[in-house]
Amino acid sequence: MSNVREQSHPSNGDLTSPAEGDLKPYVVFTQLNRGDPHMYAGCVDAADQQMALQFAREHYGQDQKCVNIWVVPKEAVTATNYDTDLIWRHTDQTYRLARGYSKPVKDKWRKLRRAEDLKEYEKDDLKETF
Amino acid sequence: MSGSANVGVHVDHARDEDPAKMAEFEAKINAGELLEPDDWMPQAYRQGMLKMAEHHANSEIIGALPEGEWITRAPSLRRKLALTAKVQDEVGHGQMLYRVSQDLGKSRDQMLRDLITGRTKYHNVFNYPAPTWGDIAMIQWLIDGAAIMNQKTLADGAYGPYVRTMKRINMEEAFHFKSGEDMVLTLMSGTKMQRQMGQEAFDRWWYPALMFFGPPDKPHAEQLPPMRWRMKTVTNDNLRRRFINRFAPAAIDLGLKIHVVKKDDNGMVIERKPDENLRLDETTGNWSFTQPDWDEFYRVIRGNGPCNAKRLALRRFSYEQGRWVRHAILRGNAGLPPAA
Amino acid sequence: MITLPDNLKRPFADLLLAVADDKLMLGHRNSDWTGLAPILEEDIAFSSLAQDEMAHAQALYQLIAGLIGTSADALAFGRKSEAFRCAAIVEAPDEFDWATAICRQFFCDHFDRLRLRRLARSSDKPVADLANRLAAEEQIHVEHVDSWMQRLGRGTDESRQRMQKALDRLAAIAPSLFEPIEHEHELVAADVYPRAETDMFETWRNELEQIANDSSLKLDLHPPSPQTIGGRRGKHTEHLPPLLDEMCEVYRLEPNAAW
Repeated sequence: MSNVREQSHPSNGDLTSPAEGDLKPYVVFTQLNRGDPHMYAGCVDAADQQMALQFAREHYGQDQKCVNIWVVPKEAVTATNYDTDLIWRHTDQTYRLARGYSKPVKDKWRKLRRAEDLKEYEKDDLKETF
Repeated sequence: MSGSANVGVHVDHARDEDPAKMAEFEAKINAGELLEPDDWMPQAYRQGMLKMAEHHANSEIIGALPEGEWITRAPSLRRKLALTAKVQDEVGHGQMLYRVSQDLGKSRDQMLRDLITGRTKYHNVFNYPAPTWGDIAMIQWLIDGAAIMNQKTLADGAYGPYVRTMKRINMEEAFHFKSGEDMVLTLMSGTKMQRQMGQEAFDRWWYPALMFFGPPDKPHAEQLPPMRWRMKTVTNDNLRRRFINRFAPAAIDLGLKIHVVKKDDNGMVIERKPDENLRLDETTGNWSFTQPDWDEFYRVIRGNGPCNAKRLALRRFSYEQGRWVRHAILRGNAGLPPAA
Repeated sequence: MITLPDNLKRPFADLLLAVADDKLMLGHRNSDWTGLAPILEEDIAFSSLAQDEMAHAQALYQLIAGLIGTSADALAFGRKSEAFRCAAIVEAPDEFDWATAICRQFFCDHFDRLRLRRLARSSDKPVADLANRLAAEEQIHVEHVDSWMQRLGRGTDESRQRMQKALDRLAAIAPSLFEPIEHEHELVAADVYPRAETDMFETWRNELEQIANDSSLKLDLHPPSPQTIGGRRGKHTEHLPPLLDEMCEVYRLEPNAAW
């Protein structure tokens, strides 16, 4: 069809058709492996959820291996406001975090146990939460 | 591939804004924070970002046209698949960037209509012709290479939705650029005819690539709003220097000659001579070169480039040809039948 | 797994060429839409389907190339028009009319799903395995195109009329898909191309009619006349030579070169 690509005649001026308006936006979440969380991928505009899913499969599902997709009408997403909605508290929160205890606990153990025993014991700690 | 907004993002200084809010806004920018659509920002920033994202989106979907012409002529199955996927990516980038713009308050339909009727612009580089397969190779190497350099810096910007879109786009650009390198390497290590095809295409694209980064910097570019507000993070001339430093020696190693060229109205080269200013300054590590013809640059921006009319005509054709389809799903009784 | 007797090699290659050539031409036509489809999201989706068709063709050409000793690219770009085995419908241009593109895809995708399911039962294991994988992808295509038939058939008066017109025009040539290749009965007898479990044409017609009905469209399909000699035997429509001239324009500049 290269002829059509070459031959569309330049036409200037305004469009005769009225403005069309947009389809509805849907938010897309993709899951890369079974069991992984679904992650925000982007948006598609579509007439309804089925069409949104069809579009999302080809737009956001083909960049890398992907096993599952959710689409949600954008208007269904309600969000907090960065400036006015405080989520994480200002006061000291270390009392509810493991890392609030790691140093004092270590110091206290050291007074009671040999270093190699402590090291062996600490092997089973969930270190990534410290 | 993408344009990006080096061409003419004029942002007015925000005179009538609340000084306290303005100070808070600039403090956030200086702290390297990302801004989100619902955050307070000066009107000029919001308008500037919309203009920038819209221009970028326009550039993506117009950028799909010159290469799109070659999908049906790609010379192997692998190239045919790759070029289709590449042009498809441009459309995907356009879709994501229109979405960023839609969230800033303008409908996609209106943006398409403004593009077709010439009310808004797209990147200049797509107003040049791609008459041979060699041009497809050079576009993917030089222009996508330039786009990556530019977009990497745009991904360091301050507007969250645009920055996230840049990061996503850059992942796909990496494929475009690698496949472009592969095509250029294949061509330049091919037959005599292929090497000549490569050289001629290079002559057509070298200067558009240098112009890709926009006109020479205005004085104090760093202090003007686009950079002060991290809408862009590196000046045009600095990006151009990085580009030359990377691509000039690579081109020479490929056996390409860098020419200063004169073109006719159709964008075809009618005269060429070696760029005598081209040399590496050993002390700075920078290459010197002959500047592009900036008169040509502004002539093309004003709509008088070799392919401006053709590109817009095809976009208009596509818009008008697809109207009944959009109408059917927007306004018609177009739902699917109930599941059995 | 059986070893293919020598006398079946050429017919088997022809059969696989029919599948691959259909897919190449359809993918070629559809890929041209990239950048120009009616909605950006559909542009992306339709381009994915076009890439699937061409990727399927490539995989099949690779098998055939092994069978008759050539390369996939030589099969795609190096043959004359009469050596192709594609059907008339995939040669039909659409001139960027979305109704034609969708209806063409509608006839072809439903047919291909049936044909691939049949090949998936082939006694030739590599072909059966490949056909099985491709059939799963064809399913995505069928769902995609069916939903467009329904949306546009049931959309506005204008969209229904445009779809009906395209459907009528293509229904006249769509049965060309069923024209047998030479010596097809021998492949069927040897179970290389196993007999369809139910009459393939009837199954196809029923599937299409049901979707057409759901879409407020009328569809009238007639089996091809057994006397017709067409694309499956190398006799093509006037649209194939210019398509090949365009597709092979660069390849022919230097056929032995790497591109």
